[in-house]
This record gives sequence, structure tokens and C-alpha cells, in this order.
Amino acid sequence: MRFRGRCWKFGDYIPTDQIVPSHLVYRPMSEIVRHVLVNLNPEFPERVQPGDILVAGKHFGQSSGRAIAAKAIQATGIACVVAECFARTFYRNAFEIGLAILECPGISKAVQEGDVLEVDVESGWVRNETTGQELRGEPTPPFLMEMLRAGGLIPFAPRLLEEGWKA
Amino acid sequence: MTLVEKILARASGRTRVEPGEVVVADVDLILLHDLSGYLTARVFEEKVRLPMRYPERVVMVFDHHFSPPTEEGARLLLENRAFARRYGIRLFDCGHGNIHNVAVWAGLVRPGMVVVGSDSHTPVHGTLGCFAAALGNDSHAALGFPYGKAWFRVPSTIRIELEGMPKPGVTPRDVALWLAATIGEGGAVYKALEFDGPYLRRLGFWDRWLFPLLTVDVGAKCGYMEPDEVTEAFLRSVTREPYEVVRGDPDRAYEAVWRYDVSELEPQVACPPTVGNVKPVTEVAGRPVQWAELGGHGGCRLEDIRLAARILRGRKKHPEVKFNIVPSSRSVFTQALREGLVEVLHEAGATWFPPSAGSNQAINMGAMAAGEAMISTHSRNFPGRNGSPEAKMYLASALTVAASAVAGCITDPREFLREERM
Ligand code: SF4
Repeated sequence: MRFRGRCWKFGDYIPTDQIVPSHLVYRPMSEIVRHVLVNLNPEFPERVQPGDILVAGKHFGQSSGRAIAAKAIQATGIACVVAECFARTFYRNAFEIGLAILECPGISKAVQEGDVLEVDVESGWVRNETTGQELRGEPTPPFLMEMLRAGGLIPFAPRLLEEGWKA
Repeated sequence: MTLVEKILARASGRTRVEPGEVVVADVDLILLHDLSGYLTARVFEEKVRLPMRYPERVVMVFDHHFSPPTEEGARLLLENRAFARRYGIRLFDCGHGNIHNVAVWAGLVRPGMVVVGSDSHTPVHGTLGCFAAALGNDSHAALGFPYGKAWFRVPSTIRIELEGMPKPGVTPRDVALWLAATIGEGGAVYKALEFDGPYLRRLGFWDRWLFPLLTVDVGAKCGYMEPDEVTEAFLRSVTREPYEVVRGDPDRAYEAVWRYDVSELEPQVACPPTVGNVKPVTEVAGRPVQWAELGGHGGCRLEDIRLAARILRGRKKHPEVKFNIVPSSRSVFTQALREGLVEVLHEAGATWFPPSAGSNQAINMGAMAAGEAMISTHSRNFPGRNGSPEAKMYLASALTVAASAVAGCITDPREFLREERM
């Protein structure tokens, strides 16, 4: 599963409360999507394009475990999130809703906002087209790749229960 | 195998599991609160569209609202209530307390269980010797409700041993704040944390609670203590339901063992912007606060109220500080009443709020304007959680919160406790 897109860059330890401001969590997604990460970069929700790639630092998506943070990022059209590492709740939620994400240590230093990235989620390979630099992220486990290809846990669940999973 | 490996093996019908394996396990309890229930319900009814298999394993607690301040909030509670009623799910409506404390006091959580929930502090139930993990809405909607199951990647286990005798004025919450910062945010990603050691074994049930509570903030999957007499005595006080204690095998394998001595610690304060930014109170003393609160995700336990009363007995809070007390459950409030603590704190100028999750995310209370600051026993301090992103949240022990409420600025509680010993 490969993506190629222009990147938006964010810092370390971004909590879900900054991805979706707390007071908006029970508004409709059409409204939430206009405020995603707005406190950290007011331009982001306005200018993000479908297919763009979001790059972040350490422990992205920490704090509350609500899937709404991942769903809101998905709703902006972001195709893939690449971070140094993710909060576990966010990591799991992303795959369960069918949002591609990749852990790639060193990514923060290797990209500037606006660079064009190519990302292979399965192998973990990342290439910054703008600078030519290549990085090796964490390969995505086969179980999560299956879930992602199925489009998330809901479409994947019947098969998972029927066939079980032998990793 | 460790406790977690054994519970997951049993729940997935296997004799053995290894860290890294993916298992589909039977779930004993699914905990939902007012901010997650209706979202999960929507996914379940709009996208999954299957019958609910085990409604008796699902529990909903309204804890972010004790009385909705907006029509929107009221509607959201109605939606949650209607869902609970449709499926016969047990509901603890407004005013019962913090989801996790309520579930434990109701005897719903017992050793050896697989407990899941949307709230990110769900791993706290590891205090009872459970495997407890926070999962997203889609997980409950797609596997939990229709099949009574959840998928897990078996985490590898790190053993954390705490030893030593803390100095006077240093409470278990100070130790927990310090430990979270020492491990670091993202310092134990996807690990199971086994808490043990002479320091923790000496603590009562609700003081132990503060340690599995911190696991989410260091990125761990779950945290637990193997049950002992303290755990079992507490359980007997809340339930007669049978349970089976699970303990790790003598030859269990850890990924690592981390040992810490707590003897030299000072009272600690987690400063904005993150829970990893923890400093000894002496470094931040003097910073003004307008708000103080006992309450929040971990809940204001009876232990917190007792600690605050040690400082507040015969004293008044600072006139410019608003001091909110939010018991974590009705049982805690009842006990505080019996011990006369409700009056002590009331006379000191504190305000009692209904049992709930307090000002977490300022859903029902606790919003701040830019430039204001709060010191609390919450477990989160990220900017923007309580009103303005330019407001500040400091996390500390109930002693430090109470001392700061009296002084009007962050204050080392030992200044007050010194007099106590004379
Ligand atoms: S604020 Fe705390 S209690 Fe509320 S949803 Fe977030 S983690 Fe849970």
C-alpha cells in the first residue's frame, strides 16, 4: 500500500485534544473537520488537500482514546500519517477505521513542511522526493495490513472471526 | 507466562500465548461513558447492524455530566440512555461518579477478567489483577457488542518494582507523577507493566490504583498488580460474586525489570503542557493559581479527601481561589460524610460537587480563561482541555492541592504539615 503526497509537519506529543478541540467532540464531523489541529496550525484545516501526508513527532495522538481524533484526520482527506511513534490508542484506532499510518523513527528531522513524500506502509519504506532521502520505518504487521486492506475492523470482523488469525 | 499472557490465553481458548501474537479474546466487561457510548452506539447501529450478543457485559456510566449545562449535552445523554434501554444495558446515570471508580465500587470488576472500554484510563482496572485495555469505538461496535470479543496483540511485560520509604508529605500520587515522568510519555509503548515491590505492597487498594492509572500516559497497553490479601479484602467489601485469581508463573519472562527507590522524592507537580513535565514542588512554588480541584479521571478518592482535610482543618482557602471537590463515587461521599470530612472542607471554603469525572475537558464544569491556572488531582494537563489553551493545569497530590488552595499559589504542603507534628 503506497502513498505519495505533499506533507504537513507537526511536533512531538500532540494529544487528541489538539487534534480535535475538546469542546467540539460532539459536533457533527462536517464541523469538526474544519478545526482539526487548528490550534497548532490554523492553515491546516483550511488548506489540507485529499492525498496529503501528515508527519508528526513522538507519541502522536496521546491522551483520550476516542477514535474521533483518527476519524477527523481521515475526514480531512489525509491519506497517511507518518510519525516517530504513536500513542497506542491512536495506533489501534487508525487501523480499525482504515486510516493508514506508519511509525518511522527519524522522520521529523528528514522532512520539511511541503516536501513530497512517498510512503510504503507495508514495508515501512519512506522516501522524501524533495531531498532524495530514504528512511526505514517499522514494517506494518500482516494482521494490521489485512485489516487496512479490508477497509478497517468493521468489514474485517466477520472474516477474522470465521478464519481466526494465525500470525 | 505472566498474568496478562495467562488471562489472554484463557480468554482466547489457547494453552499458551507469546508476546507479539494476535489473539481474539472473550471480553467480560465493556465500560462506556457518556462521551463514548453514543459514538459507539452510532457505529454499531449504522455500520455494523448486528444484534447485541451479551448486553449484560456492557455497562454505561454518565460521568462527564452530572447535570447537562447545555441542550446539546442533554440530547447526548438522551441518546445514550435510549441506547442503553434498547439493549438492556446497565446504566449508571448522572451523579454516580467517575466511570472506573463506579464500576469497581459496584463490584463489576474482578480478578482475572478481560475488561475493555473506550476511556483511555480503562487500564486502571489492572489494580484488581485484570487484563484491562482501552479500545476505540469501532472495536466495541465491530467485535465487542456483536460477538463479545476483542482482538489484542499480546504485549511483552516490564516489571516495575518500587521500594523505599517516602519522606513525610510525599504521597502515592507524588510517586505516581514522578514515575510517569521517569518512564516518560511513550516510554513503555505497548508494554504490559507489572507493578510490584515493597513500597506498593504496603499501600491500600485505592493508593495502588494510581499506578495502573498512569500506564496510558507512558504509552503502555495495560498495567496491573497481582492480587494479594489487600486486593481480596477490598473485593470482599464490594462483591460476593465468585472470581478466580490469576498470577504469573514462577518462570515468567519479562522484557525488563525496572527498580526505583522512592525514599528521596520530594512532592511532585506535573506542569503544563504535558504529564511528562514533572518537577519537585520547590521548583514551581509561588506560581499563582485561581482554581484547585480534587477530582478528575483517576477520581477524587477518599484518600485524597482525607489528605486535604489534614491541611484544611481549621484553615480557610485563599479568598481568590475556587476550590472544587468532586468525589469519584457516591460511596466515597458517604464515607467522607461519616468521617466528618464534608464539613471540614466545607468550612474551609471548598465547594462540593456531585460525584462525577469533575472538570475533565470542562464538559460540565471547570473551564478557565486565558491566564488562569488550576492545580488538581487530575491526570491530564494538556493545554485546551479546560477552556482556553492559554490556561494552565498543574497536577499534584491532594496535600499539595490543598496547601496551594490555602496559599493562593503552588505551595509545598510540608510547610503546613510541619505544624501538624508539633
Ligand atoms: S477526560 Fe479523562 S475521563 Fe474523560 S474521556 Fe478523557 S481520559 Fe476519559
